[in-house]
Amino acid sequence: MNSPTRHTRPLSPNIQIYRPQLTSVLSIANRVTGIVLSAFAVFLVIWLSVAAASPQAFATVQSVMGSWIGQLLMIAGVFSFFMHLSGGIRHLFWDAGYGFQLRTIYASGWAVVIASLLLTGATWVLSIYMAG
Amino acid sequence: MHKQDRRSLLSRATGLGSARKGVGHWWAERVTAIALVPLTIWFLASVVALTGSDRAGVVTWLRTPSAAICMVLLLVALFYHMALGLQVVIEDYVHSGARFAVLIAIRLACFALAGTGILVTLRISVGG
Amino acid sequence: MNEDKTSHFLIESSDQLPLVTVLKRFPLPRKLGVGKESRIEKGKRWPVPIATASRVKTFEIYRYDPDSGDNPALDIFEIDLDDCGPMVLDALIWIKNKVDPTLTFRRSCREGVCGSCAMNIDGTNWLACTRFIADTDKPATIYPLSNMRIIKDLVPDLTHVFAQYSLIEPWLHSTAPVPEKERLQSPDERAELDGYYECILCFCCTSGCPSHWWNGARFLGPAALLHAYRWLIDSRDEATGERLDNLEDPFRLYRCHTILNCTRTCPKGLNPGKAIAEIKKMIVKRTG
Repeated sequence: MNSPTRHTRPLSPNIQIYRPQLTSVLSIANRVTGIVLSAFAVFLVIWLSVAAASPQAFATVQSVMGSWIGQLLMIAGVFSFFMHLSGGIRHLFWDAGYGFQLRTIYASGWAVVIASLLLTGATWVLSIYMAG
Repeated sequence: MHKQDRRSLLSRATGLGSARKGVGHWWAERVTAIALVPLTIWFLASVVALTGSDRAGVVTWLRTPSAAICMVLLLVALFYHMALGLQVVIEDYVHSGARFAVLIAIRLACFALAGTGILVTLRISVGG
Repeated sequence: MNEDKTSHFLIESSDQLPLVTVLKRFPLPRKLGVGKESRIEKGKRWPVPIATASRVKTFEIYRYDPDSGDNPALDIFEIDLDDCGPMVLDALIWIKNKVDPTLTFRRSCREGVCGSCAMNIDGTNWLACTRFIADTDKPATIYPLSNMRIIKDLVPDLTHVFAQYSLIEPWLHSTAPVPEKERLQSPDERAELDGYYECILCFCCTSGCPSHWWNGARFLGPAALLHAYRWLIDSRDEATGERLDNLEDPFRLYRCHTILNCTRTCPKGLNPGKAIAEIKKMIVKRTG
């Protein structure tokens, strides 16, 4: 049973060669966006804390958010949010036992990608409109 | 040097046996996910509506009871979900001795962040 | 050939190949997390041995010889399509017969029933006997099943995944008195097993599952879990509760994150992802 080997057998390559597919790419996207959103959750607490602290501290944070790099980060955060939200809803359907036909897996996968892009764009336009 | 492993194949596959738990974590992750759907959409909509406003605008917003309640609920669901999700990520990739230290740190940090968030929200909403 | 090549984006069955591939591999360093003994070196080039060959196809094939003490390497073979059968397995046999008799791989039925010739073809797992050479990349790349300890060339050590299969006790559990004749099942009860009993244990799914890559020692993987579900829903089995007890574990079952590479790659068109989701549902059901 335990074959005696003189040296460790090589492990065949896995992620180094396995072809990225919509299934695995969206799975890793869900994970990455979840981690990004964790960072934004920390920022949410900071934002609330400075709002509680003083107008000056809050203004400083708002100006950082208003800078171009802050805006870029916000757009990344909003995109991560919509990706994680729509991907999460897709997962909830699977958890309920629905949507496991390959065609549905692919259709819902592309829907997640398109919805995240569109909703991010819509949010961006709306916030520009709100800012006046 | 690898430690020689002369256990049988089945013994290796069995390991320490089934934990006979796991559904609690899985279920809680789903319940918090469902809670977060309306709460996060509400939050994003509120923030978009607040675009460009100063601290006074934010304070006025959080002084409404509904906003304060939703914010507290959001913080609870968010950091619960985050603790569960990050736990899975660490379990997936960290196999060294640091694993349990990181898991404990993440859980404690999520508790602390949720507690801080709730406290400052209440402070804004009830006065000060 | 694949008859339905009309769809670029919506894959309808696991035998469909995408017409457009954005990335052939994840943009990660090739040596990331790869042990010293597993690094793949540049291999030999084996030109086509027939001077008159007009239709030449190139194959890049993973080689490993345990007796040489060398690291694995990627050899380049040229085959003559006019002299070779239509499937990838035919190409491997052609190389073994006409170019390098030491090329080692498992094969038996050559019709997608035995599961022996499972390997990684152009980046996804499939049976060499049911993939047309015409559907492969130029050059075609052949690796053994992913994330397995390699015995020689394309022959992976499957003992661990088979141990995981035996861990789910893939046989009927019954304490009832043995009936005089067969144990009866209604046609409906029998139909429940459709889509689950057909698994040929080729381990394309388990070997293509990232969760099994990172936690294969403890996560049972899609193949074993699909079989676990097949016994959970067997109307004649009396150990459903004990089976669920043995599965309910953060690693054995819940390391499945519904990535669904399993369902995408199953050469029998089965759905391990759905089977695992149904197991999770059964466990929720008995708690609430």
